[in-house]
Amino acid sequence: MTVRALVLAGYGINCDFETAHALGLAGASADRVHISQLTGTALARPTARLDDYQILVFDGGFSWGDDHGAGVLLATRLANHLGDQLREFLGRGGLVMGICNGFQALVNLGLLPMLDGAWQRDVALANNDCGNFQDRWVELMVEQQSPCLFTRGLKRLALPVRHGEGKLVAQPAVLERLEAMGLVALRYAGKNGRPAGGRFPDNPNGSQNDIAGICDASGRVFGLMPHPEGYYRASQHPDWTLTREQARRRGQEPDALAPGLGQVIFQNAVAAARGEIS
Amino acid sequence: MAQRLEIGLRPDLHDPAGRGLKHKARAYLGLGVERARVLRVLTLDTALEAADLEKVRTRIFTNPVTEISSFSPLAGQVLPGFHFALWVGLKPGVRDNEAATACEAMADVLGRPLKPSDAAYYSRLYLIEAPRLGRQQAELICSELLANPIIQTWRVISRQEWDPQAGVGIILPRVELRHQPTVLTLAIPSDAELLRLSAERNLFLNPADVPVIRAYFHDPAVLAQRQALGLNEPTDVELEYVSQGRSDHCNHNTFNGRFHYRDLASGQQEVVDNLFKSCIKAPTERLAAERGWVVSVLWDNAGVARLDQAHNYVITAETHNSPSNMEAYGGAITGIVGVYRDPMGTGLGSKLVAGLWGFCVGPRDYAGELKPALHPRRLLDGIIEGVRDGGNKSGIPTALGSLQFDERYLGKCLVFVGALGVMPREVAGQPSHLKKTSPGELIFMCGGRVGADGIHGVTASSAGYSENTPAGHVQIGDPYTQKKMHDFLLEARDQGLIRFITDNGGGGLSSSIGESARLSPGAEVDLAKVPLKYPGLDPWQIWVSESQERMTVAVAPADSQAFLALADKHAVEATVIGRFTGDGKLKLTHGDDLCAYVDVEFLEKGFPQWQFQALWSPPELRGLSEPVVAPPADLSGLLLDLVDSPNLCSREWISRQYDHEVQGTSLIKPFVGRGRDIPSEAAVLLPVLTGKAGLAMAQVLLTDYGDIDTYHMVTASVEEGYRRVVAVGGDPAQVGGVDNFCWPSIIHDPTDNPDGPYKAAQLVRACWGLRDACLALGIPLLSGKDSMYVDGRLKGRHGLVRRVSGPPTMMFSATAPVPDLKRVQTLEPKLPGDLVYVLGATKDELGGSSLYGLWGQTGLKVPQTGLAQSLATCAAVSQALDRGLAASVCVLSRGGLAYALARMSLASDLGLSLDLDGLAGAEGLSPMQRLFSESTGRFALTVAPGRAAELEALLAGVPFARLGQVTKERRLKAQAGGVKVLDLSIPEMRRAFTRRFGKMV
Repeated sequence: MTVRALVLAGYGINCDFETAHALGLAGASADRVHISQLTGTALARPTARLDDYQILVFDGGFSWGDDHGAGVLLATRLANHLGDQLREFLGRGGLVMGICNGFQALVNLGLLPMLDGAWQRDVALANNDCGNFQDRWVELMVEQQSPCLFTRGLKRLALPVRHGEGKLVAQPAVLERLEAMGLVALRYAGKNGRPAGGRFPDNPNGSQNDIAGICDASGRVFGLMPHPEGYYRASQHPDWTLTREQARRRGQEPDALAPGLGQVIFQNAVAAARGEIS
Repeated sequence: MAQRLEIGLRPDLHDPAGRGLKHKARAYLGLGVERARVLRVLTLDTALEAADLEKVRTRIFTNPVTEISSFSPLAGQVLPGFHFALWVGLKPGVRDNEAATACEAMADVLGRPLKPSDAAYYSRLYLIEAPRLGRQQAELICSELLANPIIQTWRVISRQEWDPQAGVGIILPRVELRHQPTVLTLAIPSDAELLRLSAERNLFLNPADVPVIRAYFHDPAVLAQRQALGLNEPTDVELEYVSQGRSDHCNHNTFNGRFHYRDLASGQQEVVDNLFKSCIKAPTERLAAERGWVVSVLWDNAGVARLDQAHNYVITAETHNSPSNMEAYGGAITGIVGVYRDPMGTGLGSKLVAGLWGFCVGPRDYAGELKPALHPRRLLDGIIEGVRDGGNKSGIPTALGSLQFDERYLGKCLVFVGALGVMPREVAGQPSHLKKTSPGELIFMCGGRVGADGIHGVTASSAGYSENTPAGHVQIGDPYTQKKMHDFLLEARDQGLIRFITDNGGGGLSSSIGESARLSPGAEVDLAKVPLKYPGLDPWQIWVSESQERMTVAVAPADSQAFLALADKHAVEATVIGRFTGDGKLKLTHGDDLCAYVDVEFLEKGFPQWQFQALWSPPELRGLSEPVVAPPADLSGLLLDLVDSPNLCSREWISRQYDHEVQGTSLIKPFVGRGRDIPSEAAVLLPVLTGKAGLAMAQVLLTDYGDIDTYHMVTASVEEGYRRVVAVGGDPAQVGGVDNFCWPSIIHDPTDNPDGPYKAAQLVRACWGLRDACLALGIPLLSGKDSMYVDGRLKGRHGLVRRVSGPPTMMFSATAPVPDLKRVQTLEPKLPGDLVYVLGATKDELGGSSLYGLWGQTGLKVPQTGLAQSLATCAAVSQALDRGLAASVCVLSRGGLAYALARMSLASDLGLSLDLDGLAGAEGLSPMQRLFSESTGRFALTVAPGRAAELEALLAGVPFARLGQVTKERRLKAQAGGVKVLDLSIPEMRRAFTRRFGKMV
């Protein structure tokens, strides 16, 4: 079965090429679709529909310049024009992933964490405590009891974060429910693989409970601040020339274009769309 | 009725912006602020009903989890005990990105377009608890931290003055020109009159050009043609056009000038006719003819070279110094966003894949008497943030950069910005690097709109900074609008809709259309069709405005509908403003009024070449000599001082804020090593994800060598650029270069610029160095720019004003494809037990070194670059990388061997144990000279012990020595003559490396 993935593009979104590339390598047929193709414009009717896809990716970028809050105007635009299609998409078991700016859009749309199945803004991704945009690699621990399909089979991984607004904030009651329902899929960790305990830079933004990614109760909607497409390929990892040298001493020559650990997340998405994991 | 919406974080949440203000008030101004909160303010000047206002407040502008908002003042809820409210907003007409997106979102949510009269204005309100602050100090926080009077305005409201109902009131920075656009005819009966007009209108005309301009307009044939159409003496539109086109910025009058060079020691005399032609164009043309990988150079907005069989890469770099010097954030963001338009406007357009930056500023802790436009600390903060927002929001990895402190940059800072793109070799069946305008094609202006901002930017950058420099040319770049345009144009290109494309940068439409009209040749433009930000602009302003984020595109009439449909899809404004013709004339109208009619070739012919005296005093004649020092046996302390010095310590805090990994192309990041904190030798990207070729890029800035001899400064810079891209795996046979000259004025004036002839000689020698090095190493110059007036007049004590000239500066950027990714290598040793080699000769060359710099000394013995030797050494390293022999490759540069060893050890988190006695070429040198000499052409590399013989076999003809090995013990140890000369632990080196700026990450 061909799995079709829609990767959002346009209006300042900027990770569409590499996200589509990673999905393609994972076996999906990925299209970069401009938001206006879904919503239509003043002059043109919509030319694309979510019906044609099994995976919908809100990829990273600075949609609408991130003015008025990261991901806010993207969420407003989609809620305004695409609400019904999104509901249908979720209703028939479509997979939704939001990465960085896309995660910010998902929480502003209320698609995450969807605690009672209703779309409401229960969590926010606020300015980093350090006050700055940060591009750095972080260690992540994967919560094993989470229903998240995208992180299946992963225990730990390193990924880059690249954001200025990634601090997950929620009311204590919401946080408690997130934890109780196992909706925290990823946490920022130290080198020892244990939660960062809020310490910068292991926790790069001050996220409550070190939360880096969450999912909904079905495990089919997933959002994360780190960039899995930032490690779709082995040679994106900062230590790849070291691990290559270690391999060379064993007489091996690793392929610089071999998949990175982030690619597992896209492979899982495709497998889930095929019904191979659930 | 206008409403003011205030939005703030919930009072119980930490406010990073407030903390930042508190910290900077203390650190920068010594002012105590106990608490600070920041509110966003959106003033809505609309006819919206209450219900609609509530709808946009809740649905768009307020995050229910983290924020509160109100149309009444929030101060009482957010910080009830505040002592001052500081409101900061933009001046009328300054680009307000947040307001633009707010209007877009409101229209969408309300389901109807806003009225043309509806407007929004974005501002901020800072509430501070600071019981010991007076009004004057609160004003200081505004003027020195929060606002720049060039683009912003502020109000300080004390607690006593605060009206809890009205708050800061309603402030509407509307642009109201109330002006009927007019075209003036300006009679130029005499040279004196034209010069007077030039001064009055800030045209900066060169006196030598004045007779030529007058002769053209008074030529009987020209006059007859003009009179037939109702024109006579030139119009203001025409004179402004001439001023733009003849500015040094557009015309490179200096590099195209005639230099009368004389060596004051030897008496040698030489006339150099045209530095550009003899030192840049001729060598590049020769090399391009020999090398099939050079695709397009010397004419377009950027150079084009081959990346792999199916793709070319595009590169250019420029500077944005004058605007950044006055408004750091605005200047820098406009600079980076602006340079990105050059690859977009090269050939039929390329996809942007990387940005580069380089900042030269005064010392961050400068405490002297001179008063630069902005203190270097504040200047640097603004520049860093400008490039951050411009780069990150463009979705282009900011791959590499550099930062240099020097007191001489107090006069004018330098902001280098570079851009790389890729394009398929063919698009829609056509070679992508070619383009042409033809009669009948429509002229589209795409992207942003035109306002009064950015007028006379080109002419102002061709003058030094003074208190009277017009500030109207400072702008705020809008990466969001440009990103949409970038995506739009690439799709239009791939559909074959673009015949010609160029950007609107310096000179605006006058430059983009003026130059592209020479190809067809001829163009007609109706300036009344140009979309404006607000009414009331005169035609000459529309013609020369440098409003940002605009491209000029030629489209065949038959493709016009398809082009507009794509523009609609991408939410980009595209407007037909005229058409290309074949009559050789540039004809401008404003509605029915003819306002310009000139020959398109007029600016290119008949103008006199600029003349310069160039007097060279060799360094000996200037009395330079080596400092006399008696170093201790153990040099560890010297190395720590070096590692801690402002120009060699960590810059992590800058590149951390820059997204250097977006697009998924990263292979070598700006930092390497286990701590990810040591600057890499060069960046490497995989620009085409489906391809297999890497692209290496490096930057070099060796300003201090120029204080001895700019010839050697430039040969060393070019050679180091070459060496850096080779070190990371670049193909030595395909290295391209980009030269960016930033020079103080070389125009001699006995009182105003008495050493102009010496600075001119420095420029000549620098160009000779560039020519010689490029020819020897086989580096064609793919692109380059010059900025010739790096001077400032700064107030000192007692009302004294001093001229401060920047040091002669040349940033060299090098690029090279990496044909096989297995060649990519980083600088840090990988495994204990590996052997450490140094390649290249170490000589007594500490002149201009970082070590001497620690003592404020220059010295005499500047590194003299052996170009042929470097070629052989780099070939050997390239072979070692091909065979997987080199487990790490480090470039020896500033700080010499010692600093390279420190970086290797810090990056690997491993120790080194070395004996310096065998160092090649170093016979008779002291341990200090061995460690800190900056002789060029050298590498340090490590190799597995079992493969040492294989490596050494490659090194025939290369001076080299095996110095020792990589150790598990985390110490850098070296001895010479049996005596310990270095013994440092990694933690103490890292403390020194990060002490100065480490906390700013």
